[in-house]
Amino acid sequence: MHLCTEAHLNYLYIDLYVHIKVRKHITQFNSCEETCLVGPEFCLRGKPSVSCSIEVPYIKSVMAVSLSYDLLLLLVISSLDWSSTPGSAFLTDHNRMTSSGRSEKKQQKRERATPVEPHFTECMSRDLETFRCWWSPGTFHNLSSPEELRVFYLKRNSPSSEWKECPEYSHLNRECFFDANHTSIWIPYCLQLRGQNNITYFNEDDCFSVENIVRPDPPVSLNWTLLIVSPSGLSYDVMVSWEPPPSADVSTGWMRIEYEIQYRERNATTWEALETQPHTQQTIYGLQAGTEYEVHIRTKMKGFPKFGDFSDSIFVKVTEIPLRESAVLLTLVLTFGVAGILILIMLIVVSHQQRLMMILLPPVPAPKIKGIDSELLKKGKLEELDFILNGGGLGGLPTYISDYYQDEPWVEFIEVDEEDADCGEKEDQKSSDTQRLLGLPQRSVGCFSADSHPDDDSGRASCYDTDLSEQDTHLLAASLLPGQPEDEEAFLHPDEKAPASETNKSPLIQTESEGKPTWINTDLYAQVSNVMPSGGVVLSPGQQLRIQENTEKESQKKGTLGEDTSKLNKPQFQLLVVDPDGSGYTSEITARQISTPPSSLVPGEGYQTIYPQPMETKPAAPSEPNQSPYILPDSPQTRLFAPVADYTVVQELDTHQSLLLNLPTQQPPPPCLPQHPLKAPVAIGYVTPDLLGNLSS
Amino acid sequence: LKREIKKIISAVWVGIICLVFSSRLSTMKAASICPNDQTGCHLLPLANLFDRVIQHSARMHGISDDLHSEFELYFLPSKNQIGRVSRNCHTSTILTPNGKENAQRIAREELAEIILKLLVAWRDPLWHFHQSMSQHDEFTNFSSNKSLEMSDMVHELRKGVLKVVEKMQMLGIISNSVGDTGSPEALLTSDSAEWRFMKDYDLLYCFRRDSNKIQNYLKILKCRIVPKHGC
Repeated sequence: MHLCTEAHLNYLYIDLYVHIKVRKHITQFNSCEETCLVGPEFCLRGKPSVSCSIEVPYIKSVMAVSLSYDLLLLLVISSLDWSSTPGSAFLTDHNRMTSSGRSEKKQQKRERATPVEPHFTECMSRDLETFRCWWSPGTFHNLSSPEELRVFYLKRNSPSSEWKECPEYSHLNRECFFDANHTSIWIPYCLQLRGQNNITYFNEDDCFSVENIVRPDPPVSLNWTLLIVSPSGLSYDVMVSWEPPPSADVSTGWMRIEYEIQYRERNATTWEALETQPHTQQTIYGLQAGTEYEVHIRTKMKGFPKFGDFSDSIFVKVTEIPLRESAVLLTLVLTFGVAGILILIMLIVVSHQQRLMMILLPPVPAPKIKGIDSELLKKGKLEELDFILNGGGLGGLPTYISDYYQDEPWVEFIEVDEEDADCGEKEDQKSSDTQRLLGLPQRSVGCFSADSHPDDDSGRASCYDTDLSEQDTHLLAASLLPGQPEDEEAFLHPDEKAPASETNKSPLIQTESEGKPTWINTDLYAQVSNVMPSGGVVLSPGQQLRIQENTEKESQKKGTLGEDTSKLNKPQFQLLVVDPDGSGYTSEITARQISTPPSSLVPGEGYQTIYPQPMETKPAAPSEPNQSPYILPDSPQTRLFAPVADYTVVQELDTHQSLLLNLPTQQPPPPCLPQHPLKAPVAIGYVTPDLLGNLSS
Repeated sequence: LKREIKKIISAVWVGIICLVFSSRLSTMKAASICPNDQTGCHLLPLANLFDRVIQHSARMHGISDDLHSEFELYFLPSKNQIGRVSRNCHTSTILTPNGKENAQRIAREELAEIILKLLVAWRDPLWHFHQSMSQHDEFTNFSSNKSLEMSDMVHELRKGVLKVVEKMQMLGIISNSVGDTGSPEALLTSDSAEWRFMKDYDLLYCFRRDSNKIQNYLKILKCRIVPKHGC
């Protein structure tokens, strides 16, 4: 009574799977006899199963999709109880691997439950030239005497082959040995056992080709050498070498074998395996010193899956040598340290010290106003600053500063320049740059000479009227403190607006500035809108606006303002108002425009340039030549302007090729600009290069 | 001085690079193929050729093995098919040595010729196999690629073996009797129809076996001709 053999278990997995998933297919297969694709219930009932041939193409797709279900099915099926014929072939090795647990269980069940017929347990070849097979009589006790069973084999190399008896018996081991004369590679062999009365126990699965049953012998002459020990002495590498097994004919190339090394610690349970490779030596990395390791090797034929037995183990151990390493470490540290120091010294020696300092420790860029020590500014020491400016000051300061920065070409000082050749005044070196910067009244009247560094590319400030009173130095001092709030109430404003006239007119400032210069309310850095060819610096109206505000706040006197405005019309007023609306920034174009006809625009067009100041002047924002000086409110009632942003966005270009800048939130004072019609509406957007071209054209 | 420093640094870099290149060049020169005039030195290129060809055949065998196992997974044929299959292999008509002694006794020219015959015989079947595989949607792209690779490898291997044979003939190791597989078509015509009737699985089984044969024969040939170089 044949039951579904173990060999069919694979199919059963599929069956079950099919049964679960693809019910419609199950109906096509009715019995084991037909196709062997049946549900497990058929096999359980004991229907005979003979050789099955499977042609189920559609199953492939199903299988391809769901191979992972196999494991699940295995679990399911293992719970099912069926028996299979004991003559399961040794060839189904991989099946056995996957279902080893179950098959053993089943075999036990089988053996207990049903008699097991004689079968072959294994056929093996060691050298691809001979092979041998072992059988077992099973539980048929009447066949237990060895001579009862005979082995017959069939070589399927011709259609008319016939069964022949085993060439060499070894009844003690129940082994049949095929020597080289009887062994042919690449030709299928089939084996069967025959008992008396010609009872044949044949399992179709016991057919094989010799090359598929090769299990090479393990290698011999294993030994190991220490390759290297780590600097810390805790781990080491070992080179293990061996000889190929003598039975395998490697020298003629008949067998190509690969080796797999496995190692483990002495008392560990699991082995660590390295990759199989065909050479007769291999390095094991990362073994720990002081631990003993066990190493063994096994072989297999290249391209075939079966491994041979393991070789005998060898033991590897290296004792720790900790002390040696500290010396090495120490020497390493010393060497590197000394080398580093030497390099450093060399660098210092080779290069000029200052250059080295420059390279290694570049100074932080800071405003380098000649004559002003930024440290003082930071500290905010008013008195000291005052002292410097005034006392130690005039004359002392510049030289001090220049000493400090004598050789730094990159230090760009904000210089005060002399007023061309017109200034006939003698140079007064003693006037501090700060004072010049801020336009404070100097001791001397008239133009100040330029600094002693004509090659610096700092901007040149034009001459400045210097009627500042002494108190303005205080103003100056106060104003130098950056970020001082407006509570200072110190304005320097009128000075700025004071014309750079060569005349010694007392500046409006004096009349107005009861208090502090408006400069206090301005940042130390003002936005330079433009540089006049004559050297004047056009500051952003932002400051000017603030100045204006303060002015207005301060002085109730319209007269002063009126004076201011009258001054406005003078050519010397060159507060070039960049943006009538008060935004401080405009693009290059307008700067150019501004710069081009300053002289023409000046008279009566009411530009105001804030002269000087040794601030860095760049051709800053251009503005519409026709922009009116938003600021100087002609009337004292002019509203205070809201603080303006220093930057604005050019909104668009209008038809007059003027830039339209952002409108500030607050309204500009329209009425105060009668003479200066706003020609520049607010621009929106950014100026693109092509637009720039249009502007300039 | 900054500029000077930069110049120095760039000069140092150039020097380092030159050093590296010169060292590499010198090492390359040192690794010429025949440093000394050894006796077997002229055979070294042949041994290299053999090695490459053998590697190629090993890879081919590996791929055929993979495909065969995949087919087993899909088709799940019973094992008794092994016995049945041998009759169907279309290369069964080619007489091949079936053991080590036979392989060693046979003449080198004959062994080379057998190898070439085998390779030629598998050219068309594998191509058709690949075609039929790519048409089946069930097969993964992986398998389809492998079949294509297999088919290509047969081509390449045949060319490689031809080159080896040429080299051997040039060196006088074997006689010129090894036909340039002058008549592969003649070989095929006798077997032409057989392989078309083989099922895919049988084809794979046969090819797996034959690729192992080819690999073995090549290795034996190499170790007979140039034994000193890695046998």
